[in-house]
Amino acid sequence: MRELSHLPFLSFFLLLFALLPFLPLGIWGAFLLDVGFFIQLFTAMALSWDLVARTGQLSLAHGAFFGLGAYGAGLLAPHVGTLPALVFGAFVAGAGALLLGSVTLRLHGLYFAIASLAFSEVLRTLALKLAFTGGPIGLPVPPPFGGVWPLAAYYLSFGVLLLATALSLWAEWSPFRLAQAATRQSEAVARVLGVRVVRVKLWSLLLGSLVAGLSGGVYGMKTLFLSPYDAFSLGRAVEALVIPIFGGLYSTLGPLVGGVVLVGLEQALRLWIKEGYLVVYGAILILVILFLPRGLVGLLGRRRG
Amino acid sequence: MELLLQTLLNGLLMSGVYALVATGLALSLGVVGIVNFAHGEFLMMGAFLSYLFFALQGLDPLFSLGLAFLAAFLVGGLVYQGLIRPVLPAPELNQMLLTFGLSILLQNLALLLFGADTRVVAPSYQAATLTLGPFFLGAVPLGAFMLSLGLLFLLQVFLTRSRLGLAMRAVAQNRLAPGLLGIEADQVYLLAFGLAAALAGVAGVMLSVILYASPTVGFIFTLKSFAIVALAGLGNLKGVVPAALVLALAEALVSTYLPGGGGLVEAVFFLVLFLALVGRAWRSP
Amino acid sequence: MGKALEVIGLSKRFLGLQALKEVSLHLEEGEILAVIGPNGAGKSTLLNLLSGLIKPDQGRILLLGRDISHLPPETRTHLGLGRAFQIVQPFPELSVRENLLVGALFGKPGLKRKEAEAWVAEVLDLTGLAPRAEALAGELTLLEDKRLELARALATRPKVLLLDEVMAGLRPKEAEEAVALVRRIRDSGVSVLFIEHLMPVVRALADRVVVLDHGEVIAEGTYEKVAQEERVREAYLGRRA
Repeated sequence: MRELSHLPFLSFFLLLFALLPFLPLGIWGAFLLDVGFFIQLFTAMALSWDLVARTGQLSLAHGAFFGLGAYGAGLLAPHVGTLPALVFGAFVAGAGALLLGSVTLRLHGLYFAIASLAFSEVLRTLALKLAFTGGPIGLPVPPPFGGVWPLAAYYLSFGVLLLATALSLWAEWSPFRLAQAATRQSEAVARVLGVRVVRVKLWSLLLGSLVAGLSGGVYGMKTLFLSPYDAFSLGRAVEALVIPIFGGLYSTLGPLVGGVVLVGLEQALRLWIKEGYLVVYGAILILVILFLPRGLVGLLGRRRG
Repeated sequence: MELLLQTLLNGLLMSGVYALVATGLALSLGVVGIVNFAHGEFLMMGAFLSYLFFALQGLDPLFSLGLAFLAAFLVGGLVYQGLIRPVLPAPELNQMLLTFGLSILLQNLALLLFGADTRVVAPSYQAATLTLGPFFLGAVPLGAFMLSLGLLFLLQVFLTRSRLGLAMRAVAQNRLAPGLLGIEADQVYLLAFGLAAALAGVAGVMLSVILYASPTVGFIFTLKSFAIVALAGLGNLKGVVPAALVLALAEALVSTYLPGGGGLVEAVFFLVLFLALVGRAWRSP
Repeated sequence: MGKALEVIGLSKRFLGLQALKEVSLHLEEGEILAVIGPNGAGKSTLLNLLSGLIKPDQGRILLLGRDISHLPPETRTHLGLGRAFQIVQPFPELSVRENLLVGALFGKPGLKRKEAEAWVAEVLDLTGLAPRAEALAGELTLLEDKRLELARALATRPKVLLLDEVMAGLRPKEAEEAVALVRRIRDSGVSVLFIEHLMPVVRALADRVVVLDHGEVIAEGTYEKVAQEERVREAYLGRRA
């Protein structure tokens, strides 16, 4: 199968990430592990966004799913332990996705995007106002597994990336790919051909949101602190979509390559620019749309839907 | 009762500026056919222009109004030529992503240049109020309201009486029409986009005094404009003013009567936007 | 012979316009039925109602005896209703084969990948698309587009096939081949309802004809019988006077 040709690349990246803490990195070690953490996490976010985009739903709500997962896990972690808290966070994100999805079923492309943006902003405002989230002051989050294992956060993010990659590959290799592509390219025709479009859209949104929620949960456990501005930031949603658009839409390799490049760049830039590195993302988005609509991976060969 | 009427009055005064910004969005949407996520950034530019002139030159915002109109028109035109025009033939989603990228770019550029703090423009008359019986009317909001209505009225005249205005309305109805009127579609788009930006720019100056200037102020107004346009019905330019009124009043009521209202205020718009879009979708057959 | 498709009192109104008014017709099993009528008669609306893309105001639709009036399009397909659109909308970024595969995999629940691929290969042969199987559907000629549309509908293994002006734009030889193809499809056990403007095609292909005008059935019978009727002539010619 043509798809298998990407497997070596993917395996290489994943192996690299898995072994990173054991490589001789010298004084750069701690910094690179940090960078690795964020690359893994935000690439997982990018994959989760791409998964949804394959059905033609351009979600601007991934920031919200991230936030829901972050707060869900963060609030529960002191009571039930790391892994159950993460799962709970993912569920909360999933519930949000189902709510959004079921209500916006008939909205296409652009209008879905705007509705998801509005949804996201409503949630962010609520997170700011509601008392139990800690409001604007924020929420402290306990470290994973009680702080016993220093590499815990790193490997948790690796786990999320692994899950995201697995889901993305499954969607690419199974008949689901055709269902998603048909839904995206012509919904009415897809229905008449027997594709259960509603289910395809909801499932895709749900799966994407679960990964985004897990990412949020792990994020909180790394930063040990959550604020609504950070957890529900639009920048997160932007990043999640710029990466696949840059790296190559509707694929697994695209978001992965894009993630390594862009998040790596972002983390490097952070050394010099505290805020506003999103300028780069905005510029990239514009340039890619104007000159490279297929993204990086698209340059390598004929695009398949 | 007095509180209610005062609240409604405040809302009424704000509706002018909202209508102005939303009309700009409706213009670029209806005439050029593009959903411009970066629309609010023209507002933000106007606000910062006003701030900079005031803080550095001591120039009264009243002068900045005209300057902002021209500057925003120019920038809008450049944006159209350089970014919008190439992407018009592309799928809608590409256009959306482009303008979204532009919005992110401009917001964060402003963030880098100015920092996240809000800057208020405070000329001597900023806090002045007029009294109307038991009610207070902020002088600046009142002026903004009247100026907004005046501009919208002029726009209306332009659209109905001038050749270019007619061309714009023709294009909004049917993309092919302008060739028939002997006017290039491209010129009409350029004009409409520039005009939309100019309206937002002027609104920005007014808001710099009423509210503040900040890197993200534009984005909030983009979303509010979306809400208004969605409520009015896409392509319905006349419906923008009543829709703006409804939302401004709702916002004022929430702000006054809901505990913690200040923060929830924005959520009103987002909620309305969300419901408007969803309602629209479920109503079509 | 049972009724493959039955339409009872179907009505649909769009804003001010009554697109269909109490239309009743039926398609016998193994029959090829033509639905004709002047422009605006409501033919496409009828097909959209049958497919489930729009909901009727009144009336019922029975597929193989089962009431499908309120079922969504995908379920109707699962129950055996296939449709080829007039304006072809291929999935442009998928290959021809993948386009058919969508129909084959999802047209009937529970079909395994291997079976689906085998069926797709058959359909590709039947419709003459085999040489173009790997081409991107967005790059086809008009004729290939039309074939794809038909093939895609076939891939869902329908028992009843709805064809919407599939002959438009074809040259006479191509139309002949298409007619032969539709006959072969019928012979394999599929009942066909088709909308058409080209009278020679209708005459060659249809067992029976239903004539619509202004949303109502004004005539029904064999082509020869229907062509004689006064009302039918008026509908096509009389209005111009």
